[in-house]
Amino acid sequence: MNKWTKFTLPLLQPIAAILVGLLAGAIAIMIAGGDILQTYAEMWKGAFGGMYFFTNTLSRATPIILIGLGAAFAFRAGFFNLGAEGQMVFGALSAALVGLYMPGPGWLVCIAAILAGVIAGGLWSVMAGYFDARFRVNLLISTLLLNYVAVLFAGYLVAYPLKDRSGSAAMAQSEMLDNSVWLPKLISGMPLHVGFVLAVLAALIIFVLLKRSVIGYEVRMLGGNPLFALFGGVKRGPMMLGAMFFSGGLAGLGGAVEILGSQYRYIDGALSTADYAWTGIMAALLAGSHPIGTLIASIFLAALQTGGMGVERNTEVPLEVGAIIQAVLILFISARFTYSFLKRRKGNKSDGTAV
Amino acid sequence: MLLQMDNITKKYGEFSANRGIDFSLRAGEVHAIVGENGAGKTTLMRILYGMEQPTSGTIRLNGKEVSFASPLDAIQGGIGMVHQHFMLFPTFTIAENIVIGNEPGSGAGFDRKQAVKIVEGLCEKYGMKVDPRATVSSSAPGVQQRVEILKVLYQGAEIIILDEPTGVLTPLEVQELLDAIKQLSKQGKSFILISHKLNEVLDVADRITVLRDGAVTGVVEKGNTDAHQLSRLMVGRELMELDRKPITPGEKVLEVSDVSIRGTKGKPVLDGVNLEVRAGEVVGIAGISGNGQSELLQVISGLAQPDSGRIAVSGKDVTGMSTREIREHGLAHIPEDRYVWGANRTATVMDTGLMGHQRRLQQGGFLKLKDIRTLVSGWVQKFSIKTGSLETSTQYLSGGNLQKLIVARELEQGTPFLIAAEPTRGVDIGAMETIHGELLKRREEGTGILLVSSELTEILKLSDRVLVMYEGRIAGELSAKDATEEKLGLLMAGGTL
Repeated sequence: MNKWTKFTLPLLQPIAAILVGLLAGAIAIMIAGGDILQTYAEMWKGAFGGMYFFTNTLSRATPIILIGLGAAFAFRAGFFNLGAEGQMVFGALSAALVGLYMPGPGWLVCIAAILAGVIAGGLWSVMAGYFDARFRVNLLISTLLLNYVAVLFAGYLVAYPLKDRSGSAAMAQSEMLDNSVWLPKLISGMPLHVGFVLAVLAALIIFVLLKRSVIGYEVRMLGGNPLFALFGGVKRGPMMLGAMFFSGGLAGLGGAVEILGSQYRYIDGALSTADYAWTGIMAALLAGSHPIGTLIASIFLAALQTGGMGVERNTEVPLEVGAIIQAVLILFISARFTYSFLKRRKGNKSDGTAV
Repeated sequence: MLLQMDNITKKYGEFSANRGIDFSLRAGEVHAIVGENGAGKTTLMRILYGMEQPTSGTIRLNGKEVSFASPLDAIQGGIGMVHQHFMLFPTFTIAENIVIGNEPGSGAGFDRKQAVKIVEGLCEKYGMKVDPRATVSSSAPGVQQRVEILKVLYQGAEIIILDEPTGVLTPLEVQELLDAIKQLSKQGKSFILISHKLNEVLDVADRITVLRDGAVTGVVEKGNTDAHQLSRLMVGRELMELDRKPITPGEKVLEVSDVSIRGTKGKPVLDGVNLEVRAGEVVGIAGISGNGQSELLQVISGLAQPDSGRIAVSGKDVTGMSTREIREHGLAHIPEDRYVWGANRTATVMDTGLMGHQRRLQQGGFLKLKDIRTLVSGWVQKFSIKTGSLETSTQYLSGGNLQKLIVARELEQGTPFLIAAEPTRGVDIGAMETIHGELLKRREEGTGILLVSSELTEILKLSDRVLVMYEGRIAGELSAKDATEEKLGLLMAGGTL
């Protein structure tokens, strides 16, 4: 395999999936009675048309990137962490609480709030890892179910004890953060905040970590063949807890920067309806858990969502066109999984004596 | 001539797996094909069996030119193949496994009694005994082998291809198989036997075709050849004689005291095993697979924990320690199953080669990629590992080449104690020579080696002492000069000397 195909081959499948997704979207637009080209043009404008929309897309992508990176890291280590939503919510909630109640200068509170978000998300994730290691509770199921616990618990807190009673009092939400603890915007007047820089940095760090570090090597081997890793002296238990903390910590960071950079308060359901967590997991899958790929896929998926909003604003075609494209994408990602699984099966058989 | 393959060439891109091979088979003949890994034996047989199409060349059956598009065509043409790995349904009975594809019965109904009767008839006709009502999973490998042969006979095969048929059999079962082949060939069946075990080939074959690098290097009649000539034809040069220099064993590098593991069915998997390995000696463990060897190795290397007993590596008690700690105390381990324990298929060759060295070749938590690259490419050269590059995915290495990579990796650990489990499984003669040479070199340098192998020749060639495992116990110990295949075979089968 020469260098060129080696580089382009992994990209082929995602690009094909995207093209088919756009094609399916075109059919949906046709059925909805819209003009395909005009709708896609609106979608493009909604996502990238002008500075405001572009930075809005990147801002929306920020938590998705961080969550996607967390999921990707756990997947690479062989642990199916589906608890990003709960980890993000606890990260967001902790950041909001620290931001509201910690005394001190704004910048310090902001940093502390970010750290609190990382730790809360990480611990929530480690708990599921511990259950798996200690009691053999299936990780996939426990992380998934703990999402409900986290979302409902946070919802309860902001609906009762911590509810903001200053305004109309109709919404279940916390009080607003003082603007001294807000994450600074990157460009004034635009939605993009410092969290995006953190997300890009995180992607680069994870990329280098996985490729070049001893821990990264052991993580990859553990994910590729746990028995081989065990044989070679990699300790699964500590690695699992570490990977789960890291993974959950990134989701928590995603939640924290969204609160400190965009929403400035914890609003019940705001993070869940925006679908950050599952979009992030999807980005990780779309990119085959490659950190830089996850970064790009997250921005792409965010663009589909902001683009869909643009479509709804300016045409008769409903917002769901973006969702349809996403759904078709998922189908094609799972098709890739089957494909690589088949390839592996074939590889099994080639353990022969001949060529 | 029953079968005639003329000028068969098979190209995969630039690479020629078969280059102008001529091969013929007479009715009632046993014709063996020998050659190293990658010599093109299996490719040739896959072409004959319809699994691959030749790039050029013709196949004639009874003088008529044929072309098989699939194994189904080949079976209809009277060709049957018994694969290296058995292709049976373990939970079904022997009768069911034999009649599959052409079951007796009417409509959707399957006549089980008739199936049993058919199989009994086959056994009678060909003089091979199996119990048609027993399930495959409860049958010994030797019986499963017979089931495979009966299956192709039931399908009407006149030509039977056997691909490395004796790999998993005990010496006694091997003899039974060879007798069965002789018996069937007297009844007019023809055999193509692919093997790398020259003594078996010389025992049973009428003619032997030797392949090297995809081409025929010799076709010899049994009477006119010997193992020496065959291996020269296979390798293309003279093989070196290994000599085991006398050495006085030193300190104990491994001490296993009274180690037991309870089994699930009341029978212990390991039953009070005691053994020791000293610096500079090779201790061989012979035994039919499944008598506790795998578990013993897992317990020693920390992959499993014993229920009782004590294990010491280099004089330190390592019972209950993790694999990493035991490795740090001085253990390297060539695992018996290269895909389960020895490699990560999806990782690069370099990553698979790095395992166990990653904590040594680092600086501040980061891998020294340059040093690692130098190290692994050194192994690739020394052991002539065929790989596209160090970035090639491990899954594209052939079994023999992966084995060489694993052996190189574990030898490099430079530990005072080494477990070598099936160190040459699936590798060719040239590589076997290299690996055996390296093991003996390590022995001279004072490494203690625990060798587990299902190849008695390998055990006898390398070991200073031989232990035989039977049903989780050490059934006997022989010194190098007392050990013979006969004595070991007896102990392996549960007998006493």
